[in-house]
Amino acid sequence: MVSVSRTLVGRRLRRAVTYGSAVLVLVVMAFPLYGIILTSIQTEPDIRSRDVAFIPTYVETAHYRQIFDEASGIPVAESMFNSLVVAVATAFLTVALAVPAAYALHRMGVPGKRVILGGFAAIYVLPTLLFVLPLFITVVQLELHDTYIGLVLPYVAFTLPFMVWIMGSFVRSIPIEVEEMARIDGAGLRQLMFRIVIPLLRPGIFAGLLLGFILAWVEFLTPLLFTSDLSVLTVTLGLFRSTMDIAIGQLAAATVLTALPVILITAFFQRNISEVVTAGVER
Amino acid sequence: MTSKVQVVKRRVHRHRRRGRVAAAAMVAPAVLLVGAVYAYPAFSTLVYSIAKIDLAPRFQIERFVWLRNFINQLTSSNFWEATWITLYFGVMLCLVTVVLSFLIALLLNKAFFGRGLLRVTVLLPWAVPPVASGVLWVQMFHAEFGFLNGLIRAFGGEGGIIWLGGSTIALHSVLIAEVWRWIPFATLFILAGLQIVPKSVREASAIDGAGPWRGFRHVTFPLTLPVVVPVVIFLFVWAMKVFDTIFVLTRGGPSRGTTTLNFLTYRQGFEQFDFGNAAATAYLLSALTVAAIAGLGWMLARSRKLAGM
Repeated sequence: MVSVSRTLVGRRLRRAVTYGSAVLVLVVMAFPLYGIILTSIQTEPDIRSRDVAFIPTYVETAHYRQIFDEASGIPVAESMFNSLVVAVATAFLTVALAVPAAYALHRMGVPGKRVILGGFAAIYVLPTLLFVLPLFITVVQLELHDTYIGLVLPYVAFTLPFMVWIMGSFVRSIPIEVEEMARIDGAGLRQLMFRIVIPLLRPGIFAGLLLGFILAWVEFLTPLLFTSDLSVLTVTLGLFRSTMDIAIGQLAAATVLTALPVILITAFFQRNISEVVTAGVER
Repeated sequence: MTSKVQVVKRRVHRHRRRGRVAAAAMVAPAVLLVGAVYAYPAFSTLVYSIAKIDLAPRFQIERFVWLRNFINQLTSSNFWEATWITLYFGVMLCLVTVVLSFLIALLLNKAFFGRGLLRVTVLLPWAVPPVASGVLWVQMFHAEFGFLNGLIRAFGGEGGIIWLGGSTIALHSVLIAEVWRWIPFATLFILAGLQIVPKSVREASAIDGAGPWRGFRHVTFPLTLPVVVPVVIFLFVWAMKVFDTIFVLTRGGPSRGTTTLNFLTYRQGFEQFDFGNAAATAYLLSALTVAAIAGLGWMLARSRKLAGM
């Protein structure tokens, strides 16, 4: 009897600890994001008050309207458009290059497979600036600075090694019997790729597109160094440029809008993205 | 007498030969692009590191100074200061992130109401673009009307901490922002590792009379170690490369307090336009990273052996 009551108390205590820590984690992890959203909907005097109001009593939308105004210092609409173009182009180009490469590496016996994959992994170990120093000079010499191409090419290259790895794990999950059967039925390489492999890879390709988009959308160092013109300003760079500005509310609103697409993608496709990340664990 | 088997064999052979050409054609674009954007620049940087670069008119090599740039770095107090800051930052980022993520992963590994919501919330910081997270933390750390000081005041404290003021506290503020950003990745990974540990193993240890702590210490932890070590390697590599957060929060200051080696490279290259010395620093940082990874890789091999994998 004693042991039964003890386990009952123990179970209740354990449950209290579980929920207590869950709430703590939830609050701490969400707090900074909550803070920036809160800032974006407060009036400037309230933002600058020493008494921080943690629970909003009103919603001020002026900052959001102001940043889409022509007169505002931050060209948010234009920079979002630029980032969208560059990120979509990067996502499609990267996946288009990664899928055939990953398939050939894992299923067609390319000589030097280990060297190529090893090299692709090693790239992530080295600091980006190691590559960016001469790249900057090349981009300037080819007069590609301040162009979309000058951004998309480095983005694609930066993302590609990672993407080939990810696509590789999806390629290996295709049962080889399916491919062999198609071969015996006389399918050529093109038919095999378009009729069998690519349809089977669809979840991987989808996850890859999302990831490529996100990585390009958040990239900061490349636009910082390779662009100076407003016509190709990306959201992340625009956000930083406007930190010099004085209106904190507008900056907060711009921050929310910059983070929003990525947050929405992550929240909606949580499972796909988790799959990609943890694909390496089982290995 | 050509049997059907031989026909198929011949066809397979033809396929193989044609396949090899096709395979090369499929890999070539990716390899060429990566080569052009990585291998060639890495080699150029190596050349710059032993040269003096003339800025005008168009970044040309003025003359070779051989090891002068490296000696410059290895004898400069700025370089060593940045090295210690980088190493301290790297070790702390790994330690704090892994400990917190392990705890969160253990929590998420239980079944409770609202677990899905917590999972998404824990993932969210990862989705915030690094620059946006920088701006967000500027707002959190603001000495006058920042949220952290506001929170301290709300609980009756003084709330006058100048988070980005001194070099030591600024480094730790950057650390807080980075830990927050990397908890999602580490938690996700460790959680996946925990889910591999069979429940029966843990139950067996509980039946054998092991309490929660001993069960964790002798069963769960050793079995997840092969997952934890790659996470540590990943985080360490990331810490070596951290840029955006430092750039937005502190610009390497105050008084070089948050100037890591990576940031020192940026300053030398793109603030002082001293490409020769920047290239040498970049290579020294690379060497440091590779050495650290080699050490951690050795630990991984050992932990695999200990876990019996």
